[in-house]
Amino acid sequence: MIEDSLETEHLTLTLGHLYPDQLNLYGDRGNILTLQRRCQLRAIELRVVGLGIGDALAPDEYDMLFIGGGQDREQAPVAQDVCELKSIGLWAAVEDDMPLLAVCGGYQLLAHYYRPAEGPDMRGLGVFDAWTIHKGARVPRCIGDVAISWHGSTLVGFENHGGRTYLGKAQPLGKVLKGHGNNAEDHTEGAVYRNAYGTYLHGSLLPKNPHFADHLIELALQRKYGRRSQTSTNVQLTTANASASNGVTSLAAAPQEAATLLSALDDTLEWEAHAALLERLGLHDAAAAALRTCTKPVSAFQS
Amino acid sequence: MLFCSYRGTSADFGGKALRKKGSSQALSAGSRTRLRRLQHIRAVIAAAKQQGPQDALNLRAGLAVIGARTAGALSRRLHLGGGTSIAGVVAQCLYPDIVKHLASQVEYGSITVTGTNGKTTTCSLIAAILGNSGLRVWRNREGSNLMRGIASSLAMHALPNGRLRKSGHAISVFEVDEAVLPQITRIVHPRVAVFTNLFRDQLDRYGEVDSIATHWREAIQQLPSTTTLVLNADDPTTAHLGNDFTGKILYYGIDDPSLDLEAQNGRHQVMDMRTCPACASDYVYELRFYSHLGHYVCPKCGLRRPKPDVRVLHAQSESFDRLRIQVESDEHRQEVVIALPGLYNIYNALAAITTAEALHIGWESILTGIEQAKPVFGRGEYIQAEGRTICLLLAKNPTGFNEVLRTLFSNATAKHVLFLLNDNIADGRDISWIWDVDFERVAGYTQTLVVSGTRALDLALRLKYAGVAQQEMTIVPSLPARPQRLDARGRKAPQQNEHATQRSYGLKSALNTALRQTPPGETLFVVPTYTGLLEVHRELEQRGLTSHYWEGAPQ
Repeated sequence: MIEDSLETEHLTLTLGHLYPDQLNLYGDRGNILTLQRRCQLRAIELRVVGLGIGDALAPDEYDMLFIGGGQDREQAPVAQDVCELKSIGLWAAVEDDMPLLAVCGGYQLLAHYYRPAEGPDMRGLGVFDAWTIHKGARVPRCIGDVAISWHGSTLVGFENHGGRTYLGKAQPLGKVLKGHGNNAEDHTEGAVYRNAYGTYLHGSLLPKNPHFADHLIELALQRKYGRRSQTSTNVQLTTANASASNGVTSLAAAPQEAATLLSALDDTLEWEAHAALLERLGLHDAAAAALRTCTKPVSAFQS
Repeated sequence: MLFCSYRGTSADFGGKALRKKGSSQALSAGSRTRLRRLQHIRAVIAAAKQQGPQDALNLRAGLAVIGARTAGALSRRLHLGGGTSIAGVVAQCLYPDIVKHLASQVEYGSITVTGTNGKTTTCSLIAAILGNSGLRVWRNREGSNLMRGIASSLAMHALPNGRLRKSGHAISVFEVDEAVLPQITRIVHPRVAVFTNLFRDQLDRYGEVDSIATHWREAIQQLPSTTTLVLNADDPTTAHLGNDFTGKILYYGIDDPSLDLEAQNGRHQVMDMRTCPACASDYVYELRFYSHLGHYVCPKCGLRRPKPDVRVLHAQSESFDRLRIQVESDEHRQEVVIALPGLYNIYNALAAITTAEALHIGWESILTGIEQAKPVFGRGEYIQAEGRTICLLLAKNPTGFNEVLRTLFSNATAKHVLFLLNDNIADGRDISWIWDVDFERVAGYTQTLVVSGTRALDLALRLKYAGVAQQEMTIVPSLPARPQRLDARGRKAPQQNEHATQRSYGLKSALNTALRQTPPGETLFVVPTYTGLLEVHRELEQRGLTSHYWEGAPQ
């Protein structure tokens, strides 16, 4: 039945973009554009709804959530709004396995607290068992290109944060290969809780990491349209763009069965940009592996 | 150090300036041995110390000047760069107070210009106006806007006796980096301090936008009330910098509702400053020209745009780089022609006009100054190459890039374009801002498109997501990725894919490709980031297509 619904039904997803006006400092629009375009090419309609300060968050209206990063001045009223107005909705969404991506400031907001160099702690939501400490102006900010390992492949981006995040029981998103990561000490980067992902990687994150973007879309589709069995190979999603069908896949390295719902796209340029950054960081083998990803034959529809 | 400095001095300056003044015979003679020179200068220092502290300071300044000019000359000779920064570094090493020492000698004082965008053009317009009014104008060169750049510009005008050359009837116009302003105002009290605007730029270097505003407030606190502030009324942060300032403030702004973004069918625009600094609520805009520039009011505390003293009533674009504006001040109303492209140059012209008003310069000098102004280095500059015209349009941050794109693609004719995105330190290492630039304007409006620079692939990806088809752009990265040359074990890698194997690399071939794709007689628009602009200039220079930009440095 699920397969039927996939074949006939028009797939729609709704992305809740939290605080688009306040937390938009580091090209977060790129993440939204990427999700939109990758859905559009597969004939999935992605609606993006902005959720600002004062807006209520009804979890059943959304299939995916995104929070970006902003300036300190703008982060304080946002932190207050998260805890006062959106906390129940956010918790419900996360506990219900809704995919959520929180970048930089948004990531800090979803941990227990942010302790500035001066002044009182800023309370966070505590989705991730982690906390952030700003050690003052003397401790240099973590700035630069960064690459992490993620489920047998890599994620690349740029980081720029003054606060250092320490993980409690939270699982890291990946291990730092080059760069600073959470705190420049323990080689962890980001945090994961259920389908909620927090990370310091921007740059923007998703355009150059198409496998991660597809992973999030995939999670949202699975959650909304049901978990389908892995043996079905006959499902063909309609492909909006002809270029996608002659393309090569990017999904070989994505974790678990995540590649199964989505048709492959031509991600040559994405992986080249990904590899170029790895290359600049001196990760030559990883760069070669990333370039191979985009030359592998389409395997997304094989079990 | 000293040895080489004397040799350099006599070789590169020909001892011209030095021979005129008797105080430095030691330097003009080219045939004496190094040792005798050194002994002589030691004797002079000892003598000066006996004469009094002021002479000793002048002497020290003189040494700094010689060192600086030598270093500058050497650096130019060896093509290490424009030769403008190193001179300042040397001068400051030899005499840390060199800027204070020399700046105080300028008869008509100094003007500082700072802000995220428009510093260089505004400075050049101010210089043109002041020059027309009969003053002798001294500037630091484009890009040398840190303390050392200012030190070097002064040292280049100084004599080896530590005095400024022709300081009478002179005025200095300093372009000052946003973050450096407090250091400058600590030692130089400008007659006029101009603030153009504050946008997001190089977050990895400056930190957050707010921290720049904090630097500026700090700098203004150090200014005496004899300084006049010239502030952009349309930029909320800039406009309210002077709230606690006791001296005179002149505001400038645009009052033409037809320039409103919505009236112009504006698309996505980033706003880098959207909340009131007093109460943190969002501004409401009656008119918005670009980014956060416009007529704003805070709905909560009532903080609003100040009424500008110099305002543009009407602006009209006559051609790509010819704007006609109606300017009004309290006493005058005047039509001014600006031979530069883009809305942002209206603000630059306004800033220059307002500065001239603050100095009581006559309108005749203002009009001719602005009309005759030539585009400065890479800001709408034209260069003829192989029968094509190259137009250089520097774009270094989201707002700057958006405005360049708007200017380029405002009419429906498709253009030949070369984008150059670098992430060197001077550009900012973080390029995520490209995702906030309205590249959607580009799709469908290019005849040919080349994408190059150290982050060419990132920009190509951005353009792809903006709807530019991959086959419509030629990607020419700075360097090939290593796996495309050799794999990890040093073997020649197999052919990766068709795109990669067709690729060429480096600026030279990017420029060649772009020029080849542009038919003779047409214009190629080159839009580089800062270091990209330097690279293009160097490349064109090597082809003999443009003059050395540093030649004009000291006048």
